[in-house]
Amino acid sequence: MTDINNEAHFRRELESLDDLQQRRVAALFVNHVLSLGTDKRLERVVKTASDEDATMEELAAALKLAHAVTFDSHARCGAEGHWDDQAGYFVARAAVAAVTLPDHSRAGGPAWQAAMSARMAHTSMLIDDDTDQHSAHTECEWQYQCLSDYLKA
Amino acid sequence: MSASLDKGINAFKRQIDSSVAAFFSSCVHCGLCAEACLFYTETGDPKRTPINKTEPLRRIWKSEYTLFGRVGKMLGLTKKVDDKFLEEWQELVYDSCTLCGRCSMVCPVGNDIALMIRKTREGMAAAGQAPEGLIGATNRSVTIGSPMGVKWPALRAQIKHVEEDSGLKIPVDVEDVEYMLLLSSMEIMNFPEFIEAVAKIFDKAGATWTISSEAFEATNSGIQIGVSDIAAELVQRIVDVADKLRVKTVISPECGHAYMAIRWDGPNLVGKPFNFKVRHILEVMDDLRQQDRLKIATKESQKLTYHDPCQISRRGGVIDEPRRLIDMIADDFVEMPDGGKMNWCCGAGGGVSANERADEIRLKVFERKKAQLDEVKPDAIISACSNCRIHLEDGLEEYNMDIPLLSLTETIAEHLAED
Amino acid sequence: MTEIELLSWARGPGLQIATIIFVAGVVIRIFEIFLLGRKANLAEAKGGEMSNGLRTMITRTVPDRTTFKRSSVTIVSGYIFHIGLFIVCFLSAPHILFLKDVIGFGWPSLPTPVIDAFAVVTIIALLATLVNRLTNKVMRYLTNFEDLLTWFITFLPVVTGYIAFHRIGMTAPTLLAVHILSVELLMIIFPFTKLMHAFTLFIARWYNGAISGYRGVAS
Repeated sequence: MTDINNEAHFRRELESLDDLQQRRVAALFVNHVLSLGTDKRLERVVKTASDEDATMEELAAALKLAHAVTFDSHARCGAEGHWDDQAGYFVARAAVAAVTLPDHSRAGGPAWQAAMSARMAHTSMLIDDDTDQHSAHTECEWQYQCLSDYLKA
Repeated sequence: MSASLDKGINAFKRQIDSSVAAFFSSCVHCGLCAEACLFYTETGDPKRTPINKTEPLRRIWKSEYTLFGRVGKMLGLTKKVDDKFLEEWQELVYDSCTLCGRCSMVCPVGNDIALMIRKTREGMAAAGQAPEGLIGATNRSVTIGSPMGVKWPALRAQIKHVEEDSGLKIPVDVEDVEYMLLLSSMEIMNFPEFIEAVAKIFDKAGATWTISSEAFEATNSGIQIGVSDIAAELVQRIVDVADKLRVKTVISPECGHAYMAIRWDGPNLVGKPFNFKVRHILEVMDDLRQQDRLKIATKESQKLTYHDPCQISRRGGVIDEPRRLIDMIADDFVEMPDGGKMNWCCGAGGGVSANERADEIRLKVFERKKAQLDEVKPDAIISACSNCRIHLEDGLEEYNMDIPLLSLTETIAEHLAED
Repeated sequence: MTEIELLSWARGPGLQIATIIFVAGVVIRIFEIFLLGRKANLAEAKGGEMSNGLRTMITRTVPDRTTFKRSSVTIVSGYIFHIGLFIVCFLSAPHILFLKDVIGFGWPSLPTPVIDAFAVVTIIALLATLVNRLTNKVMRYLTNFEDLLTWFITFLPVVTGYIAFHRIGMTAPTLLAVHILSVELLMIIFPFTKLMHAFTLFIARWYNGAISGYRGVAS
């Protein structure tokens, strides 16, 4: 298998993973951006997501927790928005995706959704950084590499 | 925005026209408006009766614009409008009202009470009686261009992300196109996938469109706080850019009050008809559907219901369009009780969610929406306003209800045929 | 003053004064409304103003189901007394005779027992509205002196009319004078109060329908 280096390939590989694999790959993506958020509760969510023996109850509890974090961290309509706080919101969204059952997941599956939200968390951190040098692509590249390594293992 | 009681009273006066006079003349204190207002029905507090919220405006109308009232004023018989009174009313006018307009639909003598409350806000704001959170949002709108402080570089970063994600190009500052899309700060910050959804829909439909880097903000804080001058300034920025780029139609995104501000209030605020049309994204998609430019490949199998955002539906006139669109993508759709133009408000619009002091009451009145959902028991809720979505999610979480919120635009995009 | 003199005054100068104040008052109040004017709507219309205004003038008479369920006492008692007042005022023989004198023509009346029944029903309904106003949480909060005054001056003519017709208590001329004076009291206070809604509600409903209709919503 050649290394992943484009979106279409990346997405295809992700969608072909089974439920457990999706969850664990999603957990890897979330874990990478965990430090961009400040809510420690997400660590527990990631732990559950990575656990191959996690029960349905544990996943449900983790989902509830991740949702709670999104509500506490989202920007309120009309309130002053802080992009570094917003990063935390997207990390939480990635965590939500990771522990969402594939049936209930949005388009692309849990791993793809987690990847997108994780990238957005990365982008958020860069927004108030006035240099336009970096792009979310660095996160992108890390995710390609991460998935390639996972598939080889 | 320097405020004073005198400025407030003058602002109240400027708001009084023949419709307001007819309304105040006709009120018979029947109380029916209270039973239409979720801020009364869920709290049981009679001071939240809608017509009561307009008391500051009524006193000015009575004492300044009726012969008998003016005579009474000379005899010292009128009720005063002073700082203390206005301060007492702040919570009723701002925290306890989303301008949802249900009251206006049930008043037996025909009063458009929501309009009267909107007008009351003009006087309150000029007198310095608007809540902290709203004042901040309005200041940021004027100085930065967005109530939440979202600047162009932030939107550009989101756009880049969306382009990488979807493989589509998002046109920026392009002239002579069919559509110019506005965005609310809420969408840019919380739901950037909305941009991607619109890009996909337009790509498949073959529509030409653009976003403007100079005027992308749809949210109009001036409307919410009740300062028409500021509301006008915010609209003018959009008008200037739309004229410059010569767009045919400006699109209002999934944000309730933004639609009211640009579609219905806009030309009246700036004092001139627009050279372009204004349509809500739902109207645009419905148009595409009618022209057979919206091809759907898959459907939602889960049980769906629709939450009507008040400013789009009851106050905006976009009631049937979302239902025709949902019909395309839903196998199992069920209306909420009172669905359509009489649907109940989510409780967060009109500046309520920007006002931290109103957090508690906002979650309390959600019980009305909860009651509707308990009857329907849907698998998911579709809506078309980012603020409704976030607030409904908040409320559902508070009451341990696990029902996901979907954006109608994003859902349509997800089910588009790939050709 | 003898009772005949009282009755003559009530029917003569009293009625003239009351009519002048009533008509002048109503005209001034309505004029005040229209004098203010309203700016034209510059937004692109989705529906017509006039047609929707006219429609709402009529349809607002019928409450929607949810509203009716939540406020049935207020709505039912309100409608009963309004309809009862209309029937007693305009379809009873003595009133039609009086109006014939004033405007030159009359119309058929309803039989006395029917009018009687409606008068009683109206009185009961009015009492019900008063009790409702004083016990319903929202109405109690909203109610002020004017609400109670207008209730009273509306109630008085119905009761005194019934009493006069059935000659209870005092002599016929006195009872009739009292009834006519009670109507004159209603007439002179009417323009200063919310009773103006009898005329202005059509204007208000039109505006409501026009404003919503412009945006494509039937209100």
